[in-house]
Amino acid sequence: MAAVREKRAEFERQALVHTDALFGAAYRLTRNARDAEDLVQDSLLRAYRFWDSFEQDSNCKAWLLRIVTNTFINEYQRKKRSREVLDAASAEQDATDGVLMHAEATDRRSPERALLERSVSDDVQRALESLPEDFRTAVVLCDVQGLSYKEIADIMGTPVGTVMSRLFRGRKLLAAALREFAVAEGYVKTDSKPDAGSADNDEAIDLGKYRAARAARGDSQS
Amino acid sequence: MSLCNSIDTLAMAFLDDELAAEERRELELHLLDCASCRQHVDGERADISLVRKALVAPPASALLKARIARALDGEDAEAARRERRRWSQWLLPGTAIAAAAAAILLFVGVGAPRPGSGSAVIGDAARQQTSSFPLEARGVSTTGQLLRNLAPVELPQFTEPGIELIGGRLLPNGIGNHDAVLLQYLVTLGSEQFQLTGFVLKDVRGDELGGGQGYQVGDQVLRIHDANGLPVVTYVDPRFRVGYVFASEHLTAAELVRLVVSTDLIGRAQRTR
Repeated sequence: MAAVREKRAEFERQALVHTDALFGAAYRLTRNARDAEDLVQDSLLRAYRFWDSFEQDSNCKAWLLRIVTNTFINEYQRKKRSREVLDAASAEQDATDGVLMHAEATDRRSPERALLERSVSDDVQRALESLPEDFRTAVVLCDVQGLSYKEIADIMGTPVGTVMSRLFRGRKLLAAALREFAVAEGYVKTDSKPDAGSADNDEAIDLGKYRAARAARGDSQS
Repeated sequence: MSLCNSIDTLAMAFLDDELAAEERRELELHLLDCASCRQHVDGERADISLVRKALVAPPASALLKARIARALDGEDAEAARRERRRWSQWLLPGTAIAAAAAAILLFVGVGAPRPGSGSAVIGDAARQQTSSFPLEARGVSTTGQLLRNLAPVELPQFTEPGIELIGGRLLPNGIGNHDAVLLQYLVTLGSEQFQLTGFVLKDVRGDELGGGQGYQVGDQVLRIHDANGLPVVTYVDPRFRVGYVFASEHLTAAELVRLVVSTDLIGRAQRTR
């Protein structure tokens, strides 16, 4: 069993130290603490099972975030959709049974969980809710995790130009939504939004294209 | 000016520290002269700062960390159970089951080998299995070369974990008039370690390794023999007329045949059909 102990110690040393960071990403992706905790636990368990396939010299945090992101995309979205269908069906059933009660009273989850979910339904989570999922993922990987464009592109399986577009538009939408909530709730008096930028299509934000154009310019000048 | 046209891209890459040093210098110089682009960068900086501040997330709870530790404990316990089961029953683990399932279309004739079966070649192999010739090749690469000098084949690959090739040697007297290479493996199962010997024989006729009990795996046949109590499993690759013989004093006939099925030998022969 020495091999098992060794694997566990190595996993704790290299992977589990990122648990807080993974939870941060999961929390902003799922937008509630309960799903975030499940997502982190599932992802770490998966990472442990596939620990042999992790290349020891590569970036462990990026590898783990890839697992979190893929698990989120593949499973949590599906699970969430089916839960919504179930919730809707049960609400409909309650209504037809004439037991339409206050939402709190019909909450079948544990009081602790319900509290956990309510406490995080803040403006930020509402603002994140308004973002398309791909934009949200790019923003979370960059602005919560500090990954480079290249690392995000690898995780999302898209070109760097696409990452930049999603990040640019995601940030604009999120910043606008956050300011809107702040104005609505009286934190700030007026919308003091700075220039939102002129890019309104995917092609506008792409460092690769800029570099190609710059190189071409350099060639034509020489 | 072209920098103005690309200011969205440049401002974002600048603030995310993704510009090359020269691009950064070029932009900084431009910003000194261009108020509109400066304003653009300031706007982008304000957005990013707002988003980053808003998205700061709480750390994982102690409860979650405890849950994860428990889940990993469960995973370790399951791995230990699998290891014990493998040792006591030699069950193929997941990956090996998949590999074997792909190869096994028909697997018949399970049972103890008939005593007394086995040709002269097998008897010779059984004798040499216990002899202590020094190995002339060590490690996969030099042993692979040694084998290729004998016949146009690659080393058998075991899909079971814990089976390590130590090395090999060309047998000075061959086996039963065949040029042959001996392969020595170290098998680690839990705390147990023992040797497994393989032989690769050149120019084998189909019936020379016959006798014993046949196991059909797809359209290929393995044979299991009893050489005075020592289980021996043989297989002839009909493409190259190369014979393989495996023996270990520490395994039962059923364990040995499962181990040989888990190599890539039969898969190789089937793939090239």
